Amino acid sequence: MDAFRVLPGVGPKTAQRMAMHLLERERPGGQRLAAVIQQAIEEVGYCQRCRTLTEADICMLCESLRRDDALLCVVESPADQLAIEEAGGFKGRYFVLHGHLSPLDGIGPESIGLDLLEARVAEGLVEEVVLATNPTIEGEATAHYIASQLAEYGVKLSRLAYGVPMGGELEYVDGGTLSRAFNGRLPFASE
Amino acid sequence: MAPEPAFLLHRRPYRETSALVDLLTLDHGRVRAVAHGGQRPGSKSRQRLQPFTPLFVTWQGSRDLKRLTLMESRGQTALLAGEGLLCGLYANEIATRLLPLELPASDVFAFYTALLEALPAPAERALALRRYEWALLEALEATPQFTTPEGSVLDPQLRYRFDAATRAFSPAERGLDGRTLRYIEQGDWQHEGLANALKAVMRAALAPHLGSTVLRSRELMLDLARRRHRP
Repeated sequence: MDAFRVLPGVGPKTAQRMAMHLLERERPGGQRLAAVIQQAIEEVGYCQRCRTLTEADICMLCESLRRDDALLCVVESPADQLAIEEAGGFKGRYFVLHGHLSPLDGIGPESIGLDLLEARVAEGLVEEVVLATNPTIEGEATAHYIASQLAEYGVKLSRLAYGVPMGGELEYVDGGTLSRAFNGRLPFASE
Repeated sequence: MAPEPAFLLHRRPYRETSALVDLLTLDHGRVRAVAHGGQRPGSKSRQRLQPFTPLFVTWQGSRDLKRLTLMESRGQTALLAGEGLLCGLYANEIATRLLPLELPASDVFAFYTALLEALPAPAERALALRRYEWALLEALEATPQFTTPEGSVLDPQLRYRFDAATRAFSPAERGLDGRTLRYIEQGDWQHEGLANALKAVMRAALAPHLGSTVLRSRELMLDLARRRHRP
C-alpha cells in the first residue's frame, strides 16, 4: 500500500483502496500494470536531440520529416510539449528543459540543458526560437537568459503572448494578465 | 491579526498541493509559512503567490513555521523583465539568505518596495539596489563603520580595504580611496562616480554574512555579462 503513495493525489486511504481492488478483483490487470511500469521505467529516457521522454534514442517528433527544422519551441516540461501538440498549429521542433532557472533553489543553466540548446542553435538550421516557458517569474527569467545566450547566433526570438482566455469574462481575469493583454493588443481588422 | 503587507520572496512545493513560502513582511521581517493549496495546479492562490506581487497576508502559529490564513493581492505586480528581473531575484535571494526569521525589518520592507518600483528603469536600478542592501545591513547591525579599526577618521589621501572582523577600513595598498569612502559616509550616493565604490563596499560588507555559498542570481548576471562582452 505504501508503494502507491508515491503517486500524486494518493493518500493512505486511496492507496488502501487501490491495493485491495487489485488483489481482490483485478489480479491480471495488476500484473499488466506492474509489467508496464517496469518496462517504462527501464526503457523510457531522454531524447538526445530535444530531451523529451522517449523509448528511442531520438524521439518521433525529432525523427519526423514533416516538421519544420527552422522553428524551435522551448518548453519547460514534456507535459507543456504535449499541450502544445494537442492544441495543434505548431509544425516545428521542440526542446524540453525539464524545469526552469531558479537561483533560490540552486537551479542554474547547466541543470536545464541550456548548453545542449545552444549547440542545437549553433548547428545553423534553426531560424526562430519560440520561448514557451511558463509566464511565471522563473519562466520569464529563463526566457531572458536563453534570449541573451542565443543573441550572438542571430536567430529570431519570440515569446508566447499574454491574453484573455477564450470564452472568459474580463471581469474575472486577473489584473496582471489583463494589463499585459492590454499592452500587447493587436490591430483589429474586420473583413 | 490585521492583514499585513508582504511580498513573496521564495516558494517551494510542500507536501502534495501546498507550498512553503518565505515572505518579507512589513512588521515581522521574514516569515516562513505553509500556504495550503498554494501549489495546486490552476489554483487562484498559486497564481497570486508570485514574487514581486504586493500582498496582504495573515497567519497563525507561534513557532517558526506559520500557517497562512489569508492572502490577497494589494496592487499591481511589478512588470519586471530581463536584467531588472534578475536584479529582483538577487534581492529575494539575499533577503532569504541573510534575514533571520522574524527579525523586525521595516526599513528593509520599505526599500524593497522602492526597489521594485525602480527596477523597470535601468538608470535607477543600481542606486535602489544599494539602498536596499544598506537597509539589510542595518537590520543585521552590520553596516560598515567609516573609520579605521582603531576608530580614527579616514585619510582622503590613503587607500583602504574593508575589514570584516572590525567592520571598519584598514589601510591597504590597493583598495578604495579615503575620499570616496567619506563621500559614501555622507550619504550623497546619487553622485555618478560613486556607483562602483558603493557596490564594492556593499559586497564586502555583505560577504561575511553570505558565507561561502555563491549567490546564484549574481552568477547568472555575471554569466550573461561575460557572454555579452565575448568577442
